[in-house]
Amino acid sequence: MKNYNVVGQSVRRLDAAEKATGTAVFSSDFTLPGMLYGKVLRSPYAHARIVSIDTTEAEKLPGVKAVVTYKNTPREIFNTSATMTFTVPALKPVLDQYIFDSVVRYVGDEVAAVAAVSEKLAEEALKLIKVEYEELPAVFDPLEAMKPEAPDIHANCKEGKNIIGEIIKIPMGDVEKGFKECDLVIEKRFKLPIVKQVQMETQAAVAQVEVNGKITVWSTTQTPHPTRMILAKIFGVPNSKIRVLNPPYVGGGFGVRIGLSAKAEPIAVALAMQAGKPVRVIYSREEDFMASDTRHGGYVTVKLGAKKDGTFHALDLKAALNGGAYCSFSTETPGVLGAMGLAVYRIPNQSYYGHSVYTNVTPAGAMRGFGNPQAMFPIESVVDMMAEELGMDPLELRLKNIMRAGDPWCLPYPCQSTGLAECIERGAKSIGWERRGSLNQPGAKKLRGIGVGVGTHVSNSWPFCVDYDNAIVTVQQDGSIHLASGVPDIGTGTSTALPQLAAEVLGVGLEEVSLTFGDTLSTPFDIGSHASRTLYAAGTAVVAAAEDAKRQILEYAADFLKVSPERLEIKDSLIYITGRELGEDCAGTGVCKTGEERISVTLQELAYHAHLRNKQFIGVGRIVPENAPPWHAHFAEVEVDTETGQVKVIRVAAAHDVGKAINPVIVEGQIEGGVLQGVGYAVSEEIVHDAKGRPLHNSLHKYLLPTAEDIPEIDAIIVEASDPSGPFGAKGVGETGLVPTAGAIANAVYNATGVRFYEIPMTEEKVFRALSAAKNSTC
Amino acid sequence: MLQDYLIPETVEQALSHLQGGKGRARVVAGGTDLLLDLANGKKEAGVLVDLTRIPGLQEITLEDDLIRLGAAVTHNQVAKSKLIQEKASVLARAARSVGSLQIRNTATVVGNVVNAQPAADAAVALVALGAVAEVVSPSGKEYIPVEKLYAGVGKSVLDSTSQIVTRIQFPALLKNQGSAYERLEQRKALALPMLNVAVVVSLADNRFQWARIVMAPVGPGPVRATEAEAILTGADVSLGNIENAAAAARAQANPRSSALRGSREYRLEVLPVLVRRALEAAVVRAGGNC
Repeated sequence: MKNYNVVGQSVRRLDAAEKATGTAVFSSDFTLPGMLYGKVLRSPYAHARIVSIDTTEAEKLPGVKAVVTYKNTPREIFNTSATMTFTVPALKPVLDQYIFDSVVRYVGDEVAAVAAVSEKLAEEALKLIKVEYEELPAVFDPLEAMKPEAPDIHANCKEGKNIIGEIIKIPMGDVEKGFKECDLVIEKRFKLPIVKQVQMETQAAVAQVEVNGKITVWSTTQTPHPTRMILAKIFGVPNSKIRVLNPPYVGGGFGVRIGLSAKAEPIAVALAMQAGKPVRVIYSREEDFMASDTRHGGYVTVKLGAKKDGTFHALDLKAALNGGAYCSFSTETPGVLGAMGLAVYRIPNQSYYGHSVYTNVTPAGAMRGFGNPQAMFPIESVVDMMAEELGMDPLELRLKNIMRAGDPWCLPYPCQSTGLAECIERGAKSIGWERRGSLNQPGAKKLRGIGVGVGTHVSNSWPFCVDYDNAIVTVQQDGSIHLASGVPDIGTGTSTALPQLAAEVLGVGLEEVSLTFGDTLSTPFDIGSHASRTLYAAGTAVVAAAEDAKRQILEYAADFLKVSPERLEIKDSLIYITGRELGEDCAGTGVCKTGEERISVTLQELAYHAHLRNKQFIGVGRIVPENAPPWHAHFAEVEVDTETGQVKVIRVAAAHDVGKAINPVIVEGQIEGGVLQGVGYAVSEEIVHDAKGRPLHNSLHKYLLPTAEDIPEIDAIIVEASDPSGPFGAKGVGETGLVPTAGAIANAVYNATGVRFYEIPMTEEKVFRALSAAKNSTC
Repeated sequence: MLQDYLIPETVEQALSHLQGGKGRARVVAGGTDLLLDLANGKKEAGVLVDLTRIPGLQEITLEDDLIRLGAAVTHNQVAKSKLIQEKASVLARAARSVGSLQIRNTATVVGNVVNAQPAADAAVALVALGAVAEVVSPSGKEYIPVEKLYAGVGKSVLDSTSQIVTRIQFPALLKNQGSAYERLEQRKALALPMLNVAVVVSLADNRFQWARIVMAPVGPGPVRATEAEAILTGADVSLGNIENAAAAARAQANPRSSALRGSREYRLEVLPVLVRRALEAAVVRAGGNC
């Protein structure tokens, strides 16, 4: 394996000191002189028509500078998610939202907003707005919403009652015939909960509108460039007159702000236009819970057929997801669910049919894994059931059927690498798979079990969505490096890993590189941070830009050293002739005699030499990424208290094929965080609504994220099956930790108790009921 | 509107501040509940009288087999106290299960009692220990069992605008006595209990001399399982007797259904498991044998 200087090193994150000392700036603590505070009035009803709205009293309150409703804001229809900027033709994005509308479609939907000189005044003003509602019938479950008698939530559904956008169909082979040829077929339906990203920083935006019409928005978006496009469309302003940036940090994302940060940006801009002053809008945690995208809940059905020897022969996957009140990413999510669900195993006959359905709950959109966890909990449960039916070890069955590099699959790009077999092997060793079956004493009330789940994912969204990257590498006059990339750092370590790539290519130390990121004014267009793409795709552009700059450096150095550029290399900022001994040279000493033969030159000297001759090295990277599958196998050990129903996750071994870990500690952090979100998905997290559609879980207290005390021991195992398409062989890792976790845990619970769960989260009461029912049926 | 924050140096001073406030002044110690209630408008105060700097109130003491906790003693102080761990372990465990590390570093045990939530962990343990509150008011000092401090859900019989609980005291457990705490919770921190059970038993010759069994949230405050206690009094230490007591505890419980924290039926089914587990653990600590 090639040795690298900076790549593959767990260097300390470049944002560590700022974040550890609390000096890093986020949108929520960003202020401007004269800034006003915006607050939003939200619907108390799940579905209602606004009969009248009277803002006069609110406007009269001293200190109130702007009040906006559907009556005095743009009637330009949009989609809060970046889908409206990156849907690939001939598909068209679903546009179904206004900043404010005369109909509200979920509890929390925006009705009006106020800007005032203090948050308190803005809140008081909200109470003075008089709204008369006419309640409309509401529906909360996707299957109910598809029934003829359900209310129409939007008028634009072409494919069926309340079905959002297109129905996704992925055919491969002949499933009908395939199932007939199977010896064994298992079909099960699974129910999935609505869960939330719960990123650390709530949705936030600060907007400034200048007298010349220029708009600047500092916000929490994961995609500054596409967000600028959305704002330009809403407000009818040229892209070039809007600047969107992170300030520069973002307190997490997990998909919740791919595009707008819910409606923080357009509301802040609308208020700032009206008030003539900068306005900051920060969602409270409750608002973030009830009025920004959730993960899709819903129903997934798996039908899997196998031959007697365990060969999978046919797979039929169906999904009806709860899209909530507006589209957001509701057309893409079922697409990824199907595409990833079909991509894990080598099965000749496959089909997928899936879509989202409008309901009167908070819109569902992107969340880490983007449909893939919803696919893999059901699929990995059914694969486990198949192993039992066949009398095969679940690992053996998986190893027999998993994709191999070069196998045909349903995805529109080749499978060029897979380290899944190695992930399975190393994960099994870590968890002690051989202990399975001998974990419990007879009569024990607390039962242990071990389960496995596997999966794959993407490393960006091409060719499903528009997906391209640019980067600029500028060699400064002192030989240091400036890098500009339009991606943000949403906490994933982008602002460390991208400089690592540039430093490696250019042969300079990491301390020589500085990065500008997440700003439409000072960085070239980039799609942004989503789809596990930032390192893989933006990194590919950074590598291309750095290679371009390096080529220019070496060409110039070739003239300087009077050799051909092919003979030159750079290390530690020293350009040298390969094969010539170093050490005798004057470079770096600063005392080179005139006429002395040079065999090396520092980048510092060379850049300044060039500067004095009117030249600078500027590398440009403009790329469309390929795509590559990361692979993963999770092994969970659980303990089920059969007398209370509590499931405790004891240990998770999470083996991930990431191609190449550019910064291993950051990769491990990504895996661990994903595992923990997966633990929550499996056992405790859900948003439940009451009969009126009001969310019951709307705070950090009520919504049951695992806490530091609930974290199981996690063994993050890095497997590196280098992919030729990624920078230094790297593939995506941002989302994968969450994908197979719930399946592994559910399989472990089955291994412990003999009871299979078709619904998550496996909360105490649900497990207790199921165990009691199983006990009664066997007595 | 909060206008003043007073830091008295004696209990007498604190009382006179309260009197001067004429119902607008209110006692504060850890403030982890009160400040939220003030912010949400659930409670009002013009003046807060901070007890945490009054000498002596930060201490946990043992005198004549009586353990005393001052009003400023925090949950973490109790959870980490060797004395409490050895002679009232049920309270150490209960205090450790409240909120998070940050909350336990601030919130006081006396505040947990006075705030009068039905399943306040420390209060449930204190009732099992037979704890008594020392209440000071302008008319003098009185001692009220913690069990009698509840006037309804979230309501204490005490008036924090005129009365001060200066200490809580209870007998240190003897060698033949043991205690245990069981808690059904949705996660290991920042979670209210779905159920909590505290028990204290006293044994002689492998028989129960007496047992105190307290459960919550199955009523407006911590609820004594008196029927279960009666079954055990004088009975042999045996699994059968413990299971009978657990069943009796269930019969006396009246939990509510919560959309967030479990149905009444589920809580009723799991309650006897917790009572049984707590009794078994307490018996072991008292040197008994099932």
